[in-house]
Amino acid sequence: MNTSLRRHLIASVIGLATAALSPALLAQTVAPIKAVASFSILGDLVRQVGGDRVAVEVLVGPGSDAHVFQPTPSQARLVGQAQIVFSNGLGFEGWMSRLLGTAGYKGRHVVASRGIQAIHTEEAGEKPHAGHQHEETDPHAWQSVPNAMVYVGNIVKGLCEADATGCASYRRNAVAYNAQLKALDTDIRATWAVIPATQRKIITSHDAFGYYAHAYGVKFLAPQGVNTDSEASAKGVAQLVRQIKQEQIKALFVESISDPRLIAQIGRETGAKPAGELFSDSLSNAQGPAASYVAMMRANTTALTQAIQGH
Amino acid sequence: MNDIAVSPLMAWLVGNPLLGPFAEFGFMRDALLGCVALSLSAAPVGVFLMLRRMSLTGDAMAHAILPGAAIGYLVSGLSLTAMTIGGIAAGLTVAVGSGLVARNTVLREDTSLAAFYLLSLALGVLIVSVRGNSVDLLHVLFGTVLALDNAALTLLGGISATTLVALALLYRPLVLECLDPGFLRQVSRWSPVAHYGFLGLLVINLVAGFHALGTLMAVGIMVLPAATARFWVRRLGPLLLLATALALLACLSGLLISYHADWPTSPVIVLSLGAMYLLSLLFAPQGALRHQRPASSHLQA
Amino acid sequence: MHKPPSPSAVPAIELHDLTLGYDRHPAVHHVSLRIAPGSLLALVGPNGAGKSTLIKALAGELHPISGTLHGLTGPRIAWLPQRSELDRSFPVTVRDMVALGLWHHVGAFGLFTAEHRRLCAEALAAVGLTGFEQRSLDALSGGQLQRALFARLILQDAPVVLLDEPFAAVDNRTTSDLLALLHRWHRQGKTVIVVLHDLAQVRAHFPLTLLLARELVACGPTAEVLTDAHWARAQRMHEAFDDEAPLCAATPDTHPHTHAAEAFT
Repeated sequence: MNTSLRRHLIASVIGLATAALSPALLAQTVAPIKAVASFSILGDLVRQVGGDRVAVEVLVGPGSDAHVFQPTPSQARLVGQAQIVFSNGLGFEGWMSRLLGTAGYKGRHVVASRGIQAIHTEEAGEKPHAGHQHEETDPHAWQSVPNAMVYVGNIVKGLCEADATGCASYRRNAVAYNAQLKALDTDIRATWAVIPATQRKIITSHDAFGYYAHAYGVKFLAPQGVNTDSEASAKGVAQLVRQIKQEQIKALFVESISDPRLIAQIGRETGAKPAGELFSDSLSNAQGPAASYVAMMRANTTALTQAIQGH
Repeated sequence: MNDIAVSPLMAWLVGNPLLGPFAEFGFMRDALLGCVALSLSAAPVGVFLMLRRMSLTGDAMAHAILPGAAIGYLVSGLSLTAMTIGGIAAGLTVAVGSGLVARNTVLREDTSLAAFYLLSLALGVLIVSVRGNSVDLLHVLFGTVLALDNAALTLLGGISATTLVALALLYRPLVLECLDPGFLRQVSRWSPVAHYGFLGLLVINLVAGFHALGTLMAVGIMVLPAATARFWVRRLGPLLLLATALALLACLSGLLISYHADWPTSPVIVLSLGAMYLLSLLFAPQGALRHQRPASSHLQA
Repeated sequence: MHKPPSPSAVPAIELHDLTLGYDRHPAVHHVSLRIAPGSLLALVGPNGAGKSTLIKALAGELHPISGTLHGLTGPRIAWLPQRSELDRSFPVTVRDMVALGLWHHVGAFGLFTAEHRRLCAEALAAVGLTGFEQRSLDALSGGQLQRALFARLILQDAPVVLLDEPFAAVDNRTTSDLLALLHRWHRQGKTVIVVLHDLAQVRAHFPLTLLLARELVACGPTAEVLTDAHWARAQRMHEAFDDEAPLCAATPDTHPHTHAAEAFT
């Protein structure tokens, strides 16, 4: 075979091969954006908006507690290699700035709650202090669905800045997801609508539902007297019983009483039933009822309303 | 606001610091009832424990019960029936087993019991740490006097009634078995009945105690009232009565202090018992300071 | 109230080739003898002679290694060991403790009647403890406690009374009072067997004596038994020798027992 023909043949083979491989190559060259989200709820929101283009790693996984989180060296490495980091803000992640410093992170840091009207936690469970109140910002803004939509907006903005080529896709995803969130919000309001306002009272030891209370008109009371995990005292139990009777509460979500027998006794005396589980700071695992943000909000709402209605 | 018509009497009752908590709250009444049942039976058993020099045996038996309760808990959670049956089975096994070893081998009763109860305790801890959760273990250890439901109260009442009847029936053999076991063996065949019967009473009262006060403190309501009473009276009849009265008093004050001072209940009950013990140790007629008193007058003969 | 049991009502105590011991070491070796009912018998011998062991076997506290024991299952036995298991710190009164001697009347559940209380008072008077009814046990001296234990024995009213060194830690006045009590029992026809080491007491008070030095040395009227020859033999007792089992009885017996010499180490 003469030289020029060989050259053409080789060129065609290379050309064909390139053409055949190009989608794969193309895809590989557009590698997913490495994103790190501080906790599971935020991670879900970022995944919903980012889609396939973003690979999300979550620091505080399902079932873990963001308040006492201790990052491991491998997680610091993850952060170091990330292109964008998402955190909640509002004081939720006390460890974030230290972690970013340790990891030497120089990339984008998106605070998802920017632009939200923050509210303060009310320390209803403690005895009233003379003269001052504990005024801390409540970080659990995601408990109100409209706030979640603000989070989505901040996430889109951040992703677009990190990856302009994917921006159209992010925007599309955000619009679709926001539609889901709007429907969720409507559903929640509809579910609560059948319960008279005077009965929308729950006792729970989680102090994480301030925004939910605000958005949907529900009153969350901290259990009086039994807000630690130690052995209950007679006074503590008495205070709780009095509170339940006075407020005519029907549902108890009291994780701080770990003894089911004591909860049953309180139930016998007041008629309030211990009710299921509430998810405040994190999602459940993949098999659980709150594996995504939307699922979590639905699960909480169902648990709360059913408890009040006596199911 | 509850709209029960509040009569002046009711208002006074509820406001009264001693009666109020019991008037107002069902769980306080239940707790008191449970404590009364427990005191009536555990205190007399404790007196006999003390007189037979078996107070530490009582403590060892309380630990021996743990694996039985742990197994019951593993099988059915914090179930009254399961933990009671488990506790009784474990306790009787250790009691009878160590007794048999002591009677038939070179080992004496104290060593035999120590060996058995240590095995039993280790087994209990192993079971709970492998399969249980530490929070529930704490509840097994500390009991729930504030959460006694009808089933638990019935159980405590039943154990109390059984104990009182058994003590009444076994009174003479039991006294003689403590006083002069050799003589009892000579004149009758009651000796093993008295001995094992008493151990049986010990076990069921420890099980009752641990439902209310937890395994750590169940022995307290047996041993402390007896020891305290000993500083005041000497004869057996008065000892039994005074120990029971002291146990009742400590339960009542423990519940009230836990109510007013916001402290966990079962430790406070046992500390009340302990406080009475210490005060009696120092100031009672038979206490430690009795020689410091100015010499009292005496008779000529 | 205290009718002496007729000789036929209470069987004689008979030991046939009795060997008693602890841990396979014989403490009492091949003893055969007969004790007639109504005997007042002192059991003596050097230290380690097996006296306590023998009397414990008579009381039913020990099982023989070999040989048999007759005549002690029917009649009730009143037995006072050398070291009583009595817990002196137990909070009962003298009267309560003594009254337990009436177990054979009241058992575990019976009520104490006025008659029983009268018997208790009599028993306490017999031992010189009138007025001590309400005293608690730990307030008694050694002598007083021993008297109280004797009062209990009186109330037991058993045809056989076994005592192991009852006067060991007791003052002279108490001892002589209690010896008088033993004589009273003897007159009532009870069989009384007492382990003693004070030979003067034995000579003075006991018509019959059993001299034991692991094996039977001699048994019979005291004067015949407590001879120097017998005593010397008793001291040498760890050697083997040949003997006929002597009969020890208030009435002559018709069965002389013989057995071959046995060496033992």
